[in-house]
Amino acid sequence: MSKNEQPNQMELSERELARLTADLDEAHREAYPKMRESALDLGSQLNQTFGRRGFLASAGALIAGGAVLAGAGPAAAAGRRMLSPAAASPVPTDVLVAGLAASLENLAVATYGSALSAAKAGKLGKVPAAIATFAVTAQAQHADHAAAWNSAISAAGYKKITVANPTIAKSVSAAFAKVTNVTGVAELALSLEEAAAATYLEAIGAVTSSQAVEVAATIQPVEMQHAAILNFVLGRYPVPVSFATLAAAAPISDTKGLVFAKA
Amino acid sequence: MDYDQQGLGELLEESQDLHADAMRSQPELLAEATELGQQPNREGTDRDEATTFAERRRSLAAPVMAGTGLGLGLAIAGLAAGAASAASATDVQILQTQQSLENLAIATYGVALTLPFIGGHSANPVVKAFVMKTRSQHQDHDNAFGSLIKSLGGKPQNSPDPVLLKVVNKAKPGLKSAAAVVALALELEDGAAATYVRDAAILKSVTAKKLTASIMGVEAQHAAVLRAVQALLAGGAAGDIALPPPVAALPAAAGKVGFPNPFFPTAAARPLTEGSVR
Repeated sequence: MSKNEQPNQMELSERELARLTADLDEAHREAYPKMRESALDLGSQLNQTFGRRGFLASAGALIAGGAVLAGAGPAAAAGRRMLSPAAASPVPTDVLVAGLAASLENLAVATYGSALSAAKAGKLGKVPAAIATFAVTAQAQHADHAAAWNSAISAAGYKKITVANPTIAKSVSAAFAKVTNVTGVAELALSLEEAAAATYLEAIGAVTSSQAVEVAATIQPVEMQHAAILNFVLGRYPVPVSFATLAAAAPISDTKGLVFAKA
Repeated sequence: MDYDQQGLGELLEESQDLHADAMRSQPELLAEATELGQQPNREGTDRDEATTFAERRRSLAAPVMAGTGLGLGLAIAGLAAGAASAASATDVQILQTQQSLENLAIATYGVALTLPFIGGHSANPVVKAFVMKTRSQHQDHDNAFGSLIKSLGGKPQNSPDPVLLKVVNKAKPGLKSAAAVVALALELEDGAAATYVRDAAILKSVTAKKLTASIMGVEAQHAAVLRAVQALLAGGAAGDIALPPPVAALPAAAGKVGFPNPFFPTAAARPLTEGSVR
C-alpha cells in the first residue's frame, strides 16, 4: 500500500469502526433504564428492611465499622478485606457497599477528568486519539455506574454519595501528581479499574440482596473490560487470568470519611 | 505486520504467572463447596424474591428459546420451589448449563485452531496466541464448574450446550476468514458472560455465586478483545492487531469499541437449564 493510500485506509477504518460503535448510544439508552430499575428496587428493599436486625444478620453482620455516620467518629480499621465481622452499624450493609461503590465510581470519573484536562493542557505529551476516546467513554460509563448506585442509596432514604472516595483519593492524587505521560495515566487508570472490579466481585459474594448483586454483576464485567483495554494499550496481555481475583478490592473500611446521612 | 514474537511469548509467560496466582485461590473456593454443598441455601430461599426476579428476567430470555418458553419456564419452576433441596438442584442445573457453555467454547476454539488463518501458517500470531490462551482459560472454567457441581452432589456436564452447538455447527462451513471466526467466538463469549451475569444474582450457593462472578468478567474481557479485533479487521487494519499495538496509529473509535455498554447486558443469556444434564 502506498503512502497516498494510507489516509484512505485510516478513513475507512475510522468509518467502519464508527459504524460498529454507532449503537453505543442506543445500547446505553436500552441498558440504563433497566439498571435504574434494579437500583431503585434495591433501594426500595433496603428502605423497607432498614432497621430490621434480620436484614443485617442476613447480610452476615459484615459491617467493618469503617463508615462515618453523620456526627459519629470513625471506627477501627478493618484490615484489607472488604467485609469482616465487626460491630453492627445502623447503616445497612448494602447501603455501605453502595456508598463505597459510588465513591469509587466518583473517583474514577474525577481521575479520568483530570487526565483529560491535563491532556488538553498539553501536560501529557501527544495523546493518541484512541486513548482520548477511551478516557471520555470510560469516564461517562463510570458516571453511569455512580448514578446507578446513588439511585439505590436515594431510594433507601439516604443522601447520595457525590464525593470521590476520600481514602483512596489521597493515594491517587499523589500518584497523579507524578504522571507526565499517557502511559502513566493508563497505569493509574488500570489500578482504579482493577480496584473497582475486585470490589464488586467481593460485594457479589457478600451481599444477599439479589438487586445489589444484579447491579454489581452488570458493572463488574465492564470494569474488567476497561482493564483489558488498558492492559492492551500498555502492551500487556489483555486477559491475564482465568479467574478475576479479590486482591485489589477496597475494604469496607474505605467508607471512612463518607457521610451516610438520612435524606 | 508489526509484532514482537519474543515479546508476546514473554507477555504470555507473565500472564501465566498471574494465572497461577489466581488458580491458587480456586482450591480454597472449591473447598468451601463441600460445606456449602450441605447448606447451599443457608439464608433460606425467598420464594417471592426468586419468583419476582425470574419474572423480571422473562423479557431477557435468549431469543432462540423465546418460541418455546421451555428454558425459562423450568427456571421459574425451579426458582419458585422454595425448599433448600430444590434450590440446590436448581444451582446444579445452572452450573451444568454454565459448564456446557465452557465445553462449547473449548471445542469451538479448538476447531478454529485447525484453520490456517487462525492456528496455521497464515495466522496473525497475536490472534493465534489469543485463541490458544482463551481456549485454555475456558478449560480452567470448565474444570472449576465441574468440581463445584460434584461437590454439590451433581453430575458434571461433559457435553456442549445443545442449542448453541447447532449454531456453531451451522456456522462451521462459513468459517472462511478470521472475521467469521471472530464473529462466532464473540457470540459465544457474549452469551457466556451474559449468562453468568444473570446467574450471579440467581444462584443460592454462595460458592457458586462467587465462582460464577469470578468468571463472568473474564468472558467479558474475551468479548472486548474480540470486538476490538473485529473492528480492526472490518476497517482493513489487520496489521494493527499487534501486541503492543501501534496506539498512535489506531483510529479514535478503537478506544471504545471494546466496551459498548455501561452495564453488561443480559439479553444474550442462555436459558437456565438449557445445558443441564438430562
